[in-house]
Amino acid sequence: MAIVIQPYRPEHESAVQDFNRRLQKSSGDPNLVFSQSAVPRWLPPVGNSPVWNEFYVAVDASPGEKPSVRGTYALTQQMIFIRGKGLERIACYHHPLSEGIVDRKYASVGVLLARDALARQPLLYALGMGGADTPIAKMLKALGFTLSAIPFYFRVMHPAKFLREMHALRKARGRRMLMDIAAATGLGWIAIRSAQAAASVRAGRPNAGPDFAVDEIATFSDWADELWTQAKETVSFAAVRDANTLRILYPEHTATTRRLRVSHEGAAIGWTVVGIRRKDAKFGEMRVGSVVDCWASPKNMLSVVRAAVRALEKDGVDLIVSNQNHQAWRGAFEQAGFLKGPSTFVFAASRKLSEMLQPLETNQPLFHITRADGDGLPANF
Amino acid sequence: MANEGSDLSTFDEVQGIASDIFGVAVAKLTADSSPDTVDTWDSVQHLNLVLALEERFGLQLSPEEIDQMKTLGTTAALIQTKLQTSPR
Repeated sequence: MAIVIQPYRPEHESAVQDFNRRLQKSSGDPNLVFSQSAVPRWLPPVGNSPVWNEFYVAVDASPGEKPSVRGTYALTQQMIFIRGKGLERIACYHHPLSEGIVDRKYASVGVLLARDALARQPLLYALGMGGADTPIAKMLKALGFTLSAIPFYFRVMHPAKFLREMHALRKARGRRMLMDIAAATGLGWIAIRSAQAAASVRAGRPNAGPDFAVDEIATFSDWADELWTQAKETVSFAAVRDANTLRILYPEHTATTRRLRVSHEGAAIGWTVVGIRRKDAKFGEMRVGSVVDCWASPKNMLSVVRAAVRALEKDGVDLIVSNQNHQAWRGAFEQAGFLKGPSTFVFAASRKLSEMLQPLETNQPLFHITRADGDGLPANF
Repeated sequence: MANEGSDLSTFDEVQGIASDIFGVAVAKLTADSSPDTVDTWDSVQHLNLVLALEERFGLQLSPEEIDQMKTLGTTAALIQTKLQTSPR
């Protein structure tokens, strides 16, 4: 066996399909699948796009045998703003898949993939990963990555349905019974609404705040550039969210997400992208809305969160979720009645990137990271 | 011979490092031990083995060399070869 990692080209597509079949057959996990197309459907590398995906495959080219793909990974190349340093090209490492998951003979492939990615782009991060205890997170930690969980927030819109359908909380029989009783008697409604109100009070709920208007927009234009420029110095790390990049991330034809412009007296004060999440067993039959992305100066963040809640409420969602890292956004979500839950959404920064982000103690709470970063958009919708 | 192809002391050191990483008694690890025979030798522990060997012997393993680490015997032989050929 001689594993060579190389860019994914059309001639590898049939070998990737075979790789997908082997992984799915042995693991029984339909999510263990890499792109069947060598050209990324999401963020293809076209023209002078500021953000694009690159795919790589680990090809096993043993002499005399048909080459097989034993591993895959993707890099999202993008411009990141780092306060004090300006714009840096940084990559997100995602979709690493190794045949070692199902065949120990290929245990080395995971190492080769991660090291190859680091060799191509030392300024690397990964996001999500399902928690800090997963093999990929452990591997990145061993390679010197700094890991931190991106806080998870939720707001229950329909308590009775939440109590009946939140399968992730209903695994124990005793708790399931209690949740059913709470749903039937209305006690759950009181408890959840009280907890959300208490969270809001603890966060220092302001008065009604400035009036704001919300408009659903087809696309982002110059006003988004102004907002990006106004607010970027309030973050220490953020993927560029200027109008050009936003038009690529949230193209006009996207049906899964809605783009909302939030304004005060006609002037844009922020924007948010919201969507309805795809079905997920842990949420049962609930309609789950997500505040996918957002941007504003700190003084306008609460208005943006309220705008997102209002839009999703109109969509009839039972639950709204969001991942937010920046301390001012966390405060705004809490003020809007969101509760903090356990997070499995982990940010991992390579050693070189971590060095650039020092001192982490003061800079980390100012990273603007949301569910839209990394490969979050296609993964969740 | 269990450690054929590698220096005995190098094999012993690799075996000791592997024992710590895989949580398996030294006596249970032979030159033929591989991911197929050691339950805890998964992709994460493979990386930990690579990193531990690089640190202990002060060398850098290339992708091709990592790919050659199929058993503890081949791993020890690889390290031995690198120690003999690489300036330290």
